[in-house]
Amino acid sequence: MISSKSKTRGDSPVIDVHNLVKHYRVADKKEGISGSIRGLFHRSSRTVQALRGVSLQVEPGEFVAILGPNGAGKTTFLKLLSGIITPTSGTAEVLGHVPWQRHDDFRRRFALVMGQKNQLWWDLPAAESFRLHQVIYRLDRERFTRTRDELVDLLEVGRLIHQPVRDLSLGERMKLELIAALLHEPEVLLLDEPTIGLDVVAQHAIHAFLRRVQTERGTTVLLTTHYMKDVAALCRRVVVITHGRILYDGTLAEIIDRFTTHKIVTLDFEQPPSDATVASWGYSCERDGPQVRLRIDRERIAETLPRVLAGHSVLDVTVEDVPLEDVIADLFRAGREPEDEPPT
Amino acid sequence: MMRYLQIFGTFVAASLVRDMTFRINFILECVTSLGWMGMNLAFYLLVFSYTSEIGQGSGWTKAPFFVFLGTGLIINAIVQAFFMPSAEEFAEMVRTGGLDTTLVKPVDAQFLLSMHRVKFSAFANGLVGVALVCWGASKADPAPSLTAWLLFPLLIGCGVAISYGLIVMLAAATILMGRNQSLYDFWFYITNFSRYPAEIYTGPWGGPLRMICTFVLPILLVVNVPAHTLALPIRAGDVRLIIAAIVAAVLMLVLSRLTFQAAINKYRSASS
Amino acid sequence: MSTAPTFSRHQFLPSWHGWTTMLSISVADRLAHRGDFFVGTLFRFLPIVTQIFLWTAVFSAAGTSTIAGYSRNDFVAYYLLTMMARSFSSMPGLAGGIARSVRDGSVKKYLVQPVDYVGFLMAARVAHKLVYFGIAAAPFALMFFLCRSYFPPLPDATTIMAFLATLVMSFLLGFFLEATLGMLGFWFLEVSSLIFVYMLAQYLLSGHMFPLDMLNSIALTDSGYSLGDLMQLLPFQYTAYFPCAVWLGKIQGPDLAFGLLVEAVWVVIAAVACRIAFLRGTRRYSAYGG
Repeated sequence: MISSKSKTRGDSPVIDVHNLVKHYRVADKKEGISGSIRGLFHRSSRTVQALRGVSLQVEPGEFVAILGPNGAGKTTFLKLLSGIITPTSGTAEVLGHVPWQRHDDFRRRFALVMGQKNQLWWDLPAAESFRLHQVIYRLDRERFTRTRDELVDLLEVGRLIHQPVRDLSLGERMKLELIAALLHEPEVLLLDEPTIGLDVVAQHAIHAFLRRVQTERGTTVLLTTHYMKDVAALCRRVVVITHGRILYDGTLAEIIDRFTTHKIVTLDFEQPPSDATVASWGYSCERDGPQVRLRIDRERIAETLPRVLAGHSVLDVTVEDVPLEDVIADLFRAGREPEDEPPT
Repeated sequence: MMRYLQIFGTFVAASLVRDMTFRINFILECVTSLGWMGMNLAFYLLVFSYTSEIGQGSGWTKAPFFVFLGTGLIINAIVQAFFMPSAEEFAEMVRTGGLDTTLVKPVDAQFLLSMHRVKFSAFANGLVGVALVCWGASKADPAPSLTAWLLFPLLIGCGVAISYGLIVMLAAATILMGRNQSLYDFWFYITNFSRYPAEIYTGPWGGPLRMICTFVLPILLVVNVPAHTLALPIRAGDVRLIIAAIVAAVLMLVLSRLTFQAAINKYRSASS
Repeated sequence: MSTAPTFSRHQFLPSWHGWTTMLSISVADRLAHRGDFFVGTLFRFLPIVTQIFLWTAVFSAAGTSTIAGYSRNDFVAYYLLTMMARSFSSMPGLAGGIARSVRDGSVKKYLVQPVDYVGFLMAARVAHKLVYFGIAAAPFALMFFLCRSYFPPLPDATTIMAFLATLVMSFLLGFFLEATLGMLGFWFLEVSSLIFVYMLAQYLLSGHMFPLDMLNSIALTDSGYSLGDLMQLLPFQYTAYFPCAVWLGKIQGPDLAFGLLVEAVWVVIAAVACRIAFLRGTRRYSAYGG
């Protein structure tokens, strides 16, 4: 039963987060015997600032990628949005609910999939776990069967659902995890590294599947990942988090626009130029026989290229953006901040 | 409520499928637990070959005492079958993050975490327990009254409730204290006193111990009250113990609920 | 691994450095869980408390001062001593650990390193026990002090020496028996249920549950021997009953010397069995590929 108040289709954002902060304490472990003995009497701990004020609005039907280096706070963010943990301060609304109040109505309308964690019963066929979902989410038999068969057909895993989960490959397991999460047709889907450790074929299958489901159902999806292929295949919008803060929020194309200062120019020479000539152009380069790759300032390409082309006969020229992985890696490094507060 | 029964039914079915998949393991579990139990019974048979009663004037002669042992087996079987397997996984779930996936489900977390697994092999001992109770009760003199027979299942229920409350509190304590100690060990040691008739705790040390284990940590009410009610004549003072068992059962359920909630709240605010 | 590893070149026991490292890891591990350990060790004595009450109750109704030659105090002392003996001879996690390392393949690591696996396990176990006794000494001393009135007067020096000798041998016997059991993992994938059955048998046959001479009154049909005599033929009694009976003065003179000799023989047999199981097991392991 969905109350009219919590229907959020329309103007208001599905996810509305303001200034979310999450701190938690961890105990320091000391090495060796003396450390352990000192630990007997005094346990020191330090505060880790997982999120330092995150604000984000997501509209219905958006597919948002959340990127960031390990420990940036991505998973913490998803856990806060799922209501698994409570924040230190700040507000959040998902589907009109405060997640950490954990209303059943809210919990029935979203799903969380964690690539590193197994939700299906390990020793049993996935079909059994699906049945449990049916009961937990109170799905009537007809709707449940229809949705399940649809999803199973989409991922072509019809035979796998009757095999014990432990006998399946990682990719097969992930597909079944996704099906389990989508059985109750959640309006918001939170995916934490769903493609981690999967081979390219499985990744493609999952991309196609998510795209299809998302378009058909209009699901709002947040996805954390380390694979740019996921982002390029699925998400128009990208949010980069480093050290608990949002560093960038915009389209994928814009990232490249805003954060790259160079382009890669590849030249195929008929007669390879001498090293001295290449050096005189003044750009960092890689050589591979007659092929030379130059990193050139974006603003100066127009003036540089004619100079290079003038004295040589060139067979082919390509001008490319710096690879996305490199841009993101630079971005992660740029966001580095001083360490967390010292031990107390 | 209906939905919770359905969910529990799914858990039962899944556990049954699992146990039947690992049939050899299931049979071995039955055999070993029957082995432990048999050794225990043999030990008491040996003891009764040297004495006619445990505790002079306590009334715990051979037949009533085996009712006591049988009652203990029944309660233990229920606890081991329905609650212990889930509770044992609890600390592991906290460590591996399995708790996270439970907390997003639109179902009561304590229910999901404390009874998602059923261990059917535990029933083997329970059946022997039923047999022992029937055998012992048939030899009891005077024979148990109808009231006693009616009270017996109710008091067994109280014993199970007290045990369940204790297990949940122990499991919650693993989160609250950030420990990973084997829950089963603690359970074993704490319930150690409840495995014998309360009458053996006498003297300057035994008296207070009996009081503490009855009214503070009510483990002596678990097996003693139902077994005593069935196997020995009900005297005036026993009614108070029967009421105490019922009150303790309710209190333990409430307390376990509160500690569990506190533990989950701590987990929610202290992890990342 | 394609060829069977040879062991002759290997060191049997780790170097001094290896020992100290192992000891310090063991200490750190214990201290990391210090609270659990202190409480856990004290909890372990709780069954003794109930045993005191149980036997008091039994004797109160039995109307005799001794049962099978044990007074009530003897029973309490016996159970306290079995705890002592079991702290030497029990090897928690040893067999299971070996079986697991075979199953998940981590045993390979020991086959390629220049250290003998059994020697390594022994060293780790000694370190573990030393640390255990270092920390558990306090609660043990406390319990024995509180229960001193249950013990007979201190035995003579010979008995004490024999008691210590039998404790050391019970450690070795327990180690080799359990290690051999774990080595069965080379042949059977799932040893955990076997370990369970072993523990079950061990609990009864070692005398941990009750003094084995209580069984002397149960005659095996017509043979002229009792169930208690049968127990004397098995190695398990040396891991609990025998040391306790020595301290309580139940076994003296030539019987004591003979008992110690038999225990030593059992240690050798178990050590040889363990070595054979390991050599055959690793040969099988490398032949079939792990």
